[in-house]
Amino acid sequence: MTHSETMTIHQVLFIVMALAILGSAIFVVTTSNLFRAALMLILTFFGIAGLFVLLDIGLFAVAQVLIYIGAIAILIIFAVMLTRGMQGMVPRNSQAVAAAVTVGIIFAVLLLLFGPLRVTVDVARWPVFSLFAGNASPRDVGGIEWTPPNQPIPAMPETYIADFGRSLVDGNQYLLPFLLIAFLVDVVLAGAIFIARQRRPAEVIEDRRRQAEEAAEEAEAMRQAGMTPDVAPLPEGAVASTAEH
Amino acid sequence: MDLINDLLKIIGDFIAGVINSIFGFSPFLADLVTMGLAAVILCTFAALSFMGLTYVERKVVARIQDRVGPNQAGPFGLLQPIADGIKMFTKEDTTPANADRWVYNLAPLVIAVFALTTYAVLPFAPSVVGTNLNVGVFYIIAIGSGSIVAIIMAGWGSNNKYALLAAFRAVAQLVSYEVPMVLALLVPVLLSGSMSLVDIINQQTTLNGNPGIPFIVFFPFSALVFLISGIAETGRSPFDLLEAESEIVAGFHVEYSGMKFALFFLGEYVNALAVAFVFSTLFLGGYAGPVLPPYIWLMLKAAVVFFIFMWLRGTLPRVRVDQMHNLNWKFFVPVSIVHLVVVMALMKLFVTRPALAQANGGILVTPGAQAAILCVASLLILVGSLAVAARRARIMRLQEEAALEQRRAENIAAVSA
Repeated sequence: MTHSETMTIHQVLFIVMALAILGSAIFVVTTSNLFRAALMLILTFFGIAGLFVLLDIGLFAVAQVLIYIGAIAILIIFAVMLTRGMQGMVPRNSQAVAAAVTVGIIFAVLLLLFGPLRVTVDVARWPVFSLFAGNASPRDVGGIEWTPPNQPIPAMPETYIADFGRSLVDGNQYLLPFLLIAFLVDVVLAGAIFIARQRRPAEVIEDRRRQAEEAAEEAEAMRQAGMTPDVAPLPEGAVASTAEH
Repeated sequence: MDLINDLLKIIGDFIAGVINSIFGFSPFLADLVTMGLAAVILCTFAALSFMGLTYVERKVVARIQDRVGPNQAGPFGLLQPIADGIKMFTKEDTTPANADRWVYNLAPLVIAVFALTTYAVLPFAPSVVGTNLNVGVFYIIAIGSGSIVAIIMAGWGSNNKYALLAAFRAVAQLVSYEVPMVLALLVPVLLSGSMSLVDIINQQTTLNGNPGIPFIVFFPFSALVFLISGIAETGRSPFDLLEAESEIVAGFHVEYSGMKFALFFLGEYVNALAVAFVFSTLFLGGYAGPVLPPYIWLMLKAAVVFFIFMWLRGTLPRVRVDQMHNLNWKFFVPVSIVHLVVVMALMKLFVTRPALAQANGGILVTPGAQAAILCVASLLILVGSLAVAARRARIMRLQEEAALEQRRAENIAAVSA
């Protein structure tokens, strides 16, 4: 296995992945069929998992597939299926231009920070940029440089999974974020169980009464403000059906 | 290099050498071509085993149910799979009106591809591993989520509300049974300290001072949970309410016919065989075994596990959907978590390596003693939880019977009045 060949194979794979990611992402934001958009989002996630494989971190690739495809994408699809009128929706909204501009700015910043792009400014012509000249480049001619990195990416150590696991429980590294996330997940689980629990009929009736009261108050407030309430108050004495399978 | 054990590796090296020398490919490209060939062979093996398994399963289930099974096509009905294949190929390929064509046609392909990708990490012999990923177990779990996507695609693309409802049910079953499956897989991974399937097999042999005891002895509870979760995960009987004829809502592939339906069928069987292989690898020691060549051992173990699947299919009645989810969420998941915590504590308490004992404290025991302790703990949890569940089930059954009796008495009273 010579060096040049592996480089070309890697590059070909990278280009394939990048095209898949870009194409599917563009499809996601331009299609009018929400379900297909969700499926294409899955393809995007797969492409990102492929990039992780190229970077030689199988753990993150597999986690990407498991979490983003197995959980988040499925959740999105369910949410999409439970929305009414998902057929023939217009994918464009008033924020499309703003979103495109934001993405462009973020991409440019990332390119400047981590990418091969270097922008140098002639400070003599633009004195205002001397404010930012914390690490002034030795040359003061304006221009844009494109310097691709030449060092090969260092190989991942064999024990990276063990290192990753240790870094999560090491007080000097990521113990606090890890504990915070664990706490958050616990709270979410407890909340889900609380919402989904089987409630007694009396509680259901009480809830409906409270909802009706709130709706009536809201309608009253709107009437006082001179608007017509768009929601009719719930009928009094809504009877709960006993939940019994 | 042992000729029998490394037969496939020798053949692969030979092919790579031939490609390298005759066609003038570089060694790297020759290796790449050989890998492609190996992948094709693996997929062919899976597809052929699908054909064989359909025949064997029909025969076995027939014998269990006092029938003869297929016996018309060829001797003993051996040509039955081929006849089925011809039927599938020549059957009319229908597409529902207004179906989302792309999604509808891609779903069977996606499910078959994901079923076949599981085989990439299975070790068939010490030298015959598709790829020895260091996250092999994790990979198997992650690939399982691909079939969920395929099922949703099939249900949605069919433009049929029954197919969509069935897809919802199927996804609910698959997602929920992944939880105990992961919890059961976690236990052998914890003991062996690696997610690579080859390492897990080596832990169950006598290499590097290991006791050579398969993990089913260490963790009978985990083995049982993984087996049942795997059956539910692949949608086989008694958890086959996704595609049963007696259900009001048939399966998510109700709109498919011909070869596309055959692909769904193939996905189901290939997944079930993969579960059998993974079970043999994780709990029965995989290819490790005396005298016989390693892949023969793996095939034997997987055959035994698959026979258990068929046995259950011929024996047990189908469960109701609420029974299925109760079993999962109220029995498997909590008890699995308790089992995991107990086993982890015991593993920390009784260590087998002197270095670990010095570093973290704990009691130094021989590997055999550790196996005995873990086995006793796991068996206690298994028996205790089963006893509790049986008692609860009995109470529920008695309550139902009492309610039924009361209703009957009321009916009689109403009729006589």
